[in-house]
Amino acid sequence: MSFDARTYWQDILGNPGRRPPATAFVNFELIGFDPEAGWCEAAFLAPSQAANPGGNVQGGFVTAMLDEVMSVAGSIVQGGPAMSPTLQMTTSFIRPVPMGVRLIGRGQVVRQGRAAIFTEGWLRNESGDLLAQATASCIPRAMDWS
Amino acid sequence: MAETEKPRISDADMLARFQGSKKRPPCSDTLGMTLVEVEQDAMRIRMDFDVPQMFANPTGAVQGGFISAMLDEAMSTCVIIASNVTMTAPTLEMKTSFLRRLMPGAASVEARILKLGKSAAFMEAECFGPEGELVAKATATAIPMLFKRLG
Repeated sequence: MSFDARTYWQDILGNPGRRPPATAFVNFELIGFDPEAGWCEAAFLAPSQAANPGGNVQGGFVTAMLDEVMSVAGSIVQGGPAMSPTLQMTTSFIRPVPMGVRLIGRGQVVRQGRAAIFTEGWLRNESGDLLAQATASCIPRAMDWS
Repeated sequence: MAETEKPRISDADMLARFQGSKKRPPCSDTLGMTLVEVEQDAMRIRMDFDVPQMFANPTGAVQGGFISAMLDEAMSTCVIIASNVTMTAPTLEMKTSFLRRLMPGAASVEARILKLGKSAAFMEAECFGPEGELVAKATATAIPMLFKRLG
């Protein structure tokens, strides 16, 4: 029986009860994904615990949101249950990221190699203003968790 | 009053001032942060963290973005301290290398300033696990800005 990527990932990503703690912390809410093209979109809502002294989202938590959608993109593209541990990630903080506002994150695979996967990601507000963008390199890792 | 006129306080007093601050931002508490070392002349600080379980990824290790959050916390605080609490420095860009897994629990971060200029600041930081092993390393740029006062 062949691996049904769409059903497998929909079960994991689309089910709030199956979100790992870090994913739940940033209030990940699946919008859509495509295992063949290697992209994932999700909405986020920064919890008040992520505020910096200026009352905006501290940069590391912005990076955490981008890491979520970028890691999903790098995982779903592998053709089976898989993860994509991040080796290196660069985030540009283009505008302050406000608290209490629905944020839209998109992660996508730039290149899928045998030993490395390159991803990029964007975080926008609902008006479409770019708030942060990131690039990352990660390694493909097949998993046997179900 | 120009920021250069503001009297310097000792490293120990600076440390006590931050440790006793009642106006810590929420992100510092969320990360379980404690400032433990300040070296103003070297523009270097060290922080201990007690990373909560809620930052775990599906493998149980700390999701990388939250390691970046700890590194960012230390680098940003380092600018505030190196400027004698006259400036804050919103991060422009930050790059993190993830060398090892970090499990929730004890961790520490050492941050230092490479250059604190008028229009740009360059920082770097390293995150260590409970056995002192290097877990992640980051570099960042930021724009120093005058700010009123941190309580």
